[in-house]
Amino acid sequence: MSSAFTAAEAPEATAESRPGFLRTAILGEPQAIVGIVVIIAFILIGVIGPFVTGDAKTKVGTVFQHPSGSHPLGLDGGGADMVRLLVNGARVSLLVGFAAAFVSILIGGVVGVLAGFFGGKTDIALMRLTDYFLVIPDVPLMIVAAALFGRSLRNIILIIGIIYWTTTARLLRAQVKSIRERIYVRRARAMGAGNSRLVFRHILPQVAPLVVANTVLLVATAIFAETFITFLGLGDPSAISWGRLIENAFTDDAILNNAWWAIVPPGVCVAIVVLAATMTGAAIEEALNPRLAVGHLSVRRFRMRVLPSVGRVEPSATLPPPTGAAGATSGKGAKR
Amino acid sequence: MRGANYVLKRLSFAVVTIFVAITLNFVLFRAVPGDAVQSLRCRQCTIQFKAALRKELGLDQSKWTQYTVYLKNLAHGDLGQSLRFQDSVWSELLPSIKNTMAMLALGTVFSIVFGVIVGVISAWRRGTIADKVGLWSGLVFYSLPPQWLGLMIVLYVAGAIGLPTSGIKDPTLGILGDASTWTLFVDRVRHMILPAATVGLVLYGEYALIVRSAMLETLGEDYALTARAKGLSNWATVWRHGLRNALLPIVTLVALSLGFIIGGFITVEYVFSYPGIGLQIVEAIDQRDFPILQGAFLLLALSVILLNLLADLLYFKLDPRITE
Amino acid sequence: MNEPLIRVENLHVWFDLKGGTELHAVRGVSFALERGERFGLVGESGCGKTTTILALMGLLPPNASVAGAVYLDGENILERGEETVSPHRWKDIAMIFQGAMNAFNPVKTVGKQIVEPMELHEIAEGKDAWKRAGELLETVGIAASRARRYPHEFSGGMRQRAAIAMSLACHPKVLLADEPTTALDVMVQAQILELLVGLSNDFGLALVLVTHDLPVVAQVCEQAAVMYAGEIMESGPLEGLYHDPRHPYTRLLFAATPDLYGEGEVVSIPGAPPRLDREIQGCPFAPRCDRTFAPCHDVKPRYLAVGPDRHAACHLNDPALAKAS
Repeated sequence: MSSAFTAAEAPEATAESRPGFLRTAILGEPQAIVGIVVIIAFILIGVIGPFVTGDAKTKVGTVFQHPSGSHPLGLDGGGADMVRLLVNGARVSLLVGFAAAFVSILIGGVVGVLAGFFGGKTDIALMRLTDYFLVIPDVPLMIVAAALFGRSLRNIILIIGIIYWTTTARLLRAQVKSIRERIYVRRARAMGAGNSRLVFRHILPQVAPLVVANTVLLVATAIFAETFITFLGLGDPSAISWGRLIENAFTDDAILNNAWWAIVPPGVCVAIVVLAATMTGAAIEEALNPRLAVGHLSVRRFRMRVLPSVGRVEPSATLPPPTGAAGATSGKGAKR
Repeated sequence: MRGANYVLKRLSFAVVTIFVAITLNFVLFRAVPGDAVQSLRCRQCTIQFKAALRKELGLDQSKWTQYTVYLKNLAHGDLGQSLRFQDSVWSELLPSIKNTMAMLALGTVFSIVFGVIVGVISAWRRGTIADKVGLWSGLVFYSLPPQWLGLMIVLYVAGAIGLPTSGIKDPTLGILGDASTWTLFVDRVRHMILPAATVGLVLYGEYALIVRSAMLETLGEDYALTARAKGLSNWATVWRHGLRNALLPIVTLVALSLGFIIGGFITVEYVFSYPGIGLQIVEAIDQRDFPILQGAFLLLALSVILLNLLADLLYFKLDPRITE
Repeated sequence: MNEPLIRVENLHVWFDLKGGTELHAVRGVSFALERGERFGLVGESGCGKTTTILALMGLLPPNASVAGAVYLDGENILERGEETVSPHRWKDIAMIFQGAMNAFNPVKTVGKQIVEPMELHEIAEGKDAWKRAGELLETVGIAASRARRYPHEFSGGMRQRAAIAMSLACHPKVLLADEPTTALDVMVQAQILELLVGLSNDFGLALVLVTHDLPVVAQVCEQAAVMYAGEIMESGPLEGLYHDPRHPYTRLLFAATPDLYGEGEVVSIPGAPPRLDREIQGCPFAPRCDRTFAPCHDVKPRYLAVGPDRHAACHLNDPALAKAS
C-alpha cells in the first residue's frame, strides 16, 4: 500500500520543521484530530479491555446466537461473545500493527539514514537494494513467507515489518540528504561534531515528524496486511485478531447462517482504524509538504464588495485628491 | 532515438530484478526448516516414497547445485512438478492464470474508469460536495479489507442481484444437452462479476485518491494559472493542462500500487472460490505443495516486474523531458 | 483630458484567513496608464504589488474579495467580478508571470501553447495560427522553427521571451509583467527589458512592470509607484523618485539598492512591514521611518500632490503639519 496522498515520484525533501510542529500539524486539521482520537480510543480498548472481558473464547451460548441485551453483537461460530472477541482483537491487531511498523521503521530508518547521510557508494548500493525490493510484490511475498515460516505472532510481525521497510528508507534518505546540506549541520560539523552526534542531535529531530507520519501509515498497512495473512489460515492459531475474526466468520459459514454480526464488526473495526490512521498520516504529510491551500482552479469565485463609506475602511488615502464633496471626508479622517 | 539510454536502463533494471526475484524465491523455499518433501501430505507419501521423491527432486544435493539446476530449468520454462498432481507446475497454473487475468481485467477496468472520473471531478470541483463525496468514497473503499468486502457482497448483494458467488461455471450447464458458446460465455462472465466487483471497488478507492491527489498537484502549478489567465474555463484547464500532466504522477503511483492488486485478489478468489491462481495458492499452501507455491509466486513477481517496466516505458513516452 | 487606457481606482483586496479574520492585502491603490506608457510598481516582497495586478485580471482565489474599480477604455471590468473581467483576459490584458519558467506546460510544445489562446479567442486557427505563432516568436528574437520544441529545450531567457510572445498572441492593449527578470542573469535581463521597451514603443502596449528590483524599473519605466503594506506611498516620474524622493520609504528603498557602479553603501531598512490582518493606525511606515514626528503614528497621511504628476503619502509634504516637524 502506497501513500496515495503525495503524488511525488521520488520523495521530495520537506521544509524545516520546528519543535511543536507535530502538535500544530495535527491540531490544525480537524480530520487529524478525529483520527488521533479514534486511534487512541482503540489503543485504550485494546490495552484495558481484555482485562475487563476476560478470556474471550469461552463459549457462552449457542453458535451464532442473535444479538440480544446481554450480548449486543451476538455470538460467533464458536458460541463466544462477539464484543469480547472484538476487544481482544483490538489488542492483537493493534499490537501487530505497531510492532510491525516499528520493525519497518527500524530497518527502513537505518537504511535511509545511512544512505542519506553518507551518500556516495553506500547510497547507491542501498538504494539499488531498496529499488529491487520495491518492485517485488508485497502481498504474495508475505503470503509465501507466512506459509513457510509463520504460524506465530512473532514471525508474522517480523515478516510484515521486513516487507514494508522500503518506503521509509526512501523517505528518510531524501530528507536526511537535504538536511545534511543545511547550514546549521555544516556549522556543527565544522565545529568538530562527530558523525553520530550530527545524526542524533541535529538530523533525527528534524526527520521526526516525517517518521511519525510514515509510522502511522505503516500501522494501517500492517493491520491490513495481517488480515490477509490470517484470512488464508496462516495466522497464529492462538491469537485472536480482527483478521482472525473475519477468517473465522468465513470458515464457520457465517454467511449460510446469515450471522451478519459475526462478519460485519471486525471488518468495520479494521476499516475505522485504517481510515483514522490514513487521515492522520495524510494530515501530517500535508503539513510537511503543503500543497497550495487553494489551487488555481475553483468553481467558486472571488467576491466583489462595496467599499464601505463609513466604518473600518476609510476612503483611501491614496486617491488623487478628488474634486467635489467626497474630497472633504478623505484624508483628514483621524483614527483614534 | 530519444532516451535510448533511459529505456536500456529500465530494461536492465527489470532483468536484474527478475533475477533477484528468482533468487529470493529459491532462497525462501530452501530456507524452510526441514525440506519440502518432509511435510508433504498425500496418500502414497510413505517414507520410501518421500526418499525417492527427494532424490528425484535433487533435494539431497548441495544448495548451490540445486540453485544452478533451478536456474537451468527456469531457462527452459520448467517450473517443476506439482507434488500433489502428476503434472508440471506450469500446466497446473496456466488455466488458473487465464481465469485470474480475465477477472482482474474486468475489475481493473472498472476501477480505473471510475477512479479517474471521480478523481478528476473531485479536483475540478474542489471544495464542493462532489469533492467531499469523491474523497470520502475513495478513503472508505481504500480502507476496507478486500476479503471482508467480498463477504459483505456475498451476504447482502449477491442474493438481491441473483449472481453466483462461487466457482466459475454453473455445474448444471451442459448436462442436459449441449449448451451454446454464448450461454457458456455469459455463465463465465456472471461468475466473474462479483469477485471482479470486489477487487474493483477496493482498487477504485486507491485510484480515486491517486488521481485526485495528482490532479490537485498539477492544478496548483504555474501553468494552470497561465491557462486561466489566457481565458480558459475551469473545465478546459482541467482537461487540457491538468489531466495530461497528472498522468505522470498517476502512472508512477499506479505502478507502486501493483503489488497491492497482485495480492488483494488472492483473498477475494478464496472468498468466491474462484478458480484463479489465487485459489491455487491457497490450496497449495494448505496441502504443502511447494513447487506450485514457488511457481505461482515467481509468476506473480514476474508480472509485477514486467508491469512496472511497462509503466516506466509509458512514463517515458508521456514525459518529453526525459532525454538521458 | 482623454480617458486613460487603463485606470485603477481605489482597489482593495482582502483574503479570508482561517479563523475568521481577513488579510487586507491591497489597501486602496489607484493609478492610470495611457497607451504605450510603461509604469513600474515597486516595493518589497509582500507589499501587495503582485496581488494588485492579479486583481486586474481577476486571477484571485475564491477566498479573496475585491472592492474598487478598474476602468479599461472607460468600462469598469470589475463591475461584477469574474463575469465582467474574464472576457478581457488575454485579449485586452495579458500577463507574464514571476518565474515564467513554469508558465509553460512541460508536456506541450511552446507553439501549441501560443496557438491555444488564439484559437480560444477566435483570432486565428490551425495553420494560420501556427504561422502567427512563428511570427510572434520571431518578434521576440526566437527562430520560428522552435515553436515545435518543448519548454525544457529553451534556456531561461528564451523561455521568458517565449512567454512574452505568448502574451502577445491576442494583441492585448495592456501587458502586466510580474518580476519578469528575476532569476535571469544580468545580460539576459537587459535583453528582456530592451525587448519590453521595444514592444511597448512599437505596438503601443501599455506595460505595468512589477518588481522589487529598482535598476530594472529605471531601465524600462518612465513613471512608477512605490508600494508599501498594500498602499502606494509615492508615485511619479522615475527621475523624481530617484533624485528627489518625497517619502522616506522611497528614499530608503533607493538607498538600499547598490548602485550599478558599486558606489554608495547598501543600506537596509531595519524592521519589518506591518501585519496586514489588522487595522493599521497612522502611517504604515512609521515604525521603520527615520523622519517620524508627532502625527505619524496616529494620523494616516493624505495622498498629496507634490509636483507635476507626482503624489506622496507623507505628513512631511503636508504644509498644514510641516511646521511641527
